[in-house]
Amino acid sequence: MSIEIPRREAMGGARAQIQVISALFMREMLTRFGTSRIGYVWLMAEPMILGTMISLLHSLSGKDLPNGLPTFLFYALGYTPFLMFRSIVNRGSGAVTNNISLLFHNRITLLDTMIARNLMEMLVCFTVCLLFIVMGMVVFHEVPHQPALLLAGWFMSALLAHGLAMVIGSAQVMMEWVEHLVHPFTYLLLPISAPFYMLDMLPQGTREALLWNPLVSIHELNRWAMFGDRINPYYDIPYVLAWILGLNLLGMAGLRVARPRLSLSD
Amino acid sequence: MLELRNVWKSFEQRHGRKDVLRGINVRLRRGDHLGILGRNGAGKSTLVRVLAGVEAPTRGSIRREMLMSWPLGGGYGIQSSLTGRNNARFIARLYGMSLSQTEVFVEDFSELGRYFDEPVKYYSSGMRSRLMMALSFAVDFDGYLVDEALSTGDARFANKCLTMFEERRKNAAVIMISHNLNHVRRYCRTAAVLRNGILEFYEDVDEAIAAYQGL
Repeated sequence: MSIEIPRREAMGGARAQIQVISALFMREMLTRFGTSRIGYVWLMAEPMILGTMISLLHSLSGKDLPNGLPTFLFYALGYTPFLMFRSIVNRGSGAVTNNISLLFHNRITLLDTMIARNLMEMLVCFTVCLLFIVMGMVVFHEVPHQPALLLAGWFMSALLAHGLAMVIGSAQVMMEWVEHLVHPFTYLLLPISAPFYMLDMLPQGTREALLWNPLVSIHELNRWAMFGDRINPYYDIPYVLAWILGLNLLGMAGLRVARPRLSLSD
Repeated sequence: MLELRNVWKSFEQRHGRKDVLRGINVRLRRGDHLGILGRNGAGKSTLVRVLAGVEAPTRGSIRREMLMSWPLGGGYGIQSSLTGRNNARFIARLYGMSLSQTEVFVEDFSELGRYFDEPVKYYSSGMRSRLMMALSFAVDFDGYLVDEALSTGDARFANKCLTMFEERRKNAAVIMISHNLNHVRRYCRTAAVLRNGILEFYEDVDEAIAAYQGL
């Protein structure tokens, strides 16, 4: 035969896993970009439109924020990370049961499919957030107070969502009805996650109750990292990190339990 | 090496538990070419899925020390909204092969012409299966899993598949689960019959075929 037959490169452990994840990531990206040249515009469009609409509604409602905070930016940067959290949980938790046929490729693990999908979602929302930041710098002359901290805040939302997606995804394998609760759950999470209001505006009792939700800490931190001392934030980062660690460990354990229960014959 | 030790696979059904595999024992090394024969309903598809690693056994253990292929010619993980080229690149990335070499190989082998750059959803079923075959042969696996399909298309293309299979199996293990007795006779050195959920091994392929025909 005249054609040269491709050969695999030998490699081990971490490098192999990075390779698998990047292959899945590229596949996910190409699929979601679609075949059109402006596919990436559409990928951004959904969170962008949602973020813009919500923010416009709030800024047109005429209620001013304290300390001259720019209304549009306040809502856009509050909502988009929450949107990311929600889509990672919604889409990511489906990665377990939707991708069974990929597991015919021995190299792919459930964790790989999960990471690839959620990484994609995260990068889309990070880009949208950055666009809002650039818009804020140009239109409102707002420069992020602590850019690195802001990035860390977004990253914490993503990790929290990733862990939760793994927990829900593996729970779905054992209890199918869990699937139906995911959307209502993420929807109801919105009002108690403080993306649209500040804890400083609330009475102390409510504030303390809300701080049980790790997303609230992240959103408060994000606002301070963006707007600086015009905000009086309330957050507990070790508490958030404990949630991230807990959910991710539980999620990875869950995937291990779910894997042998996955069946094509169901 | 691929080793299955006392592998059981059971399914919970409405009228109770069904044990499809009831203690499969098999050990396969590079260069071993094993044919597995079985009547309809003997549990061949279940065995394929367990061997492929997509489903775990209910009981027993599997030791997997070589990279097994997906069932040859199967479209697992193929994204139909992507082009043939993009799917080839996915397989290349996944298995750590050169992108350009894999593209050239798959484009050439599949004979898709300009369709190689069209989304797979626009392919005819013949084109689809040619692409799947090309993708399966693009990776140099340690072991090949054959579930019936060893070739596809017209006589000429089918011949090309068989030639390529000869090339690929030289240094690899093969498990062929097939009804096609000619293929088993031609490509396998040992054979077993899957019956009552266990594998019965025979001295040579002809004996296994005789036993299978006597079922």
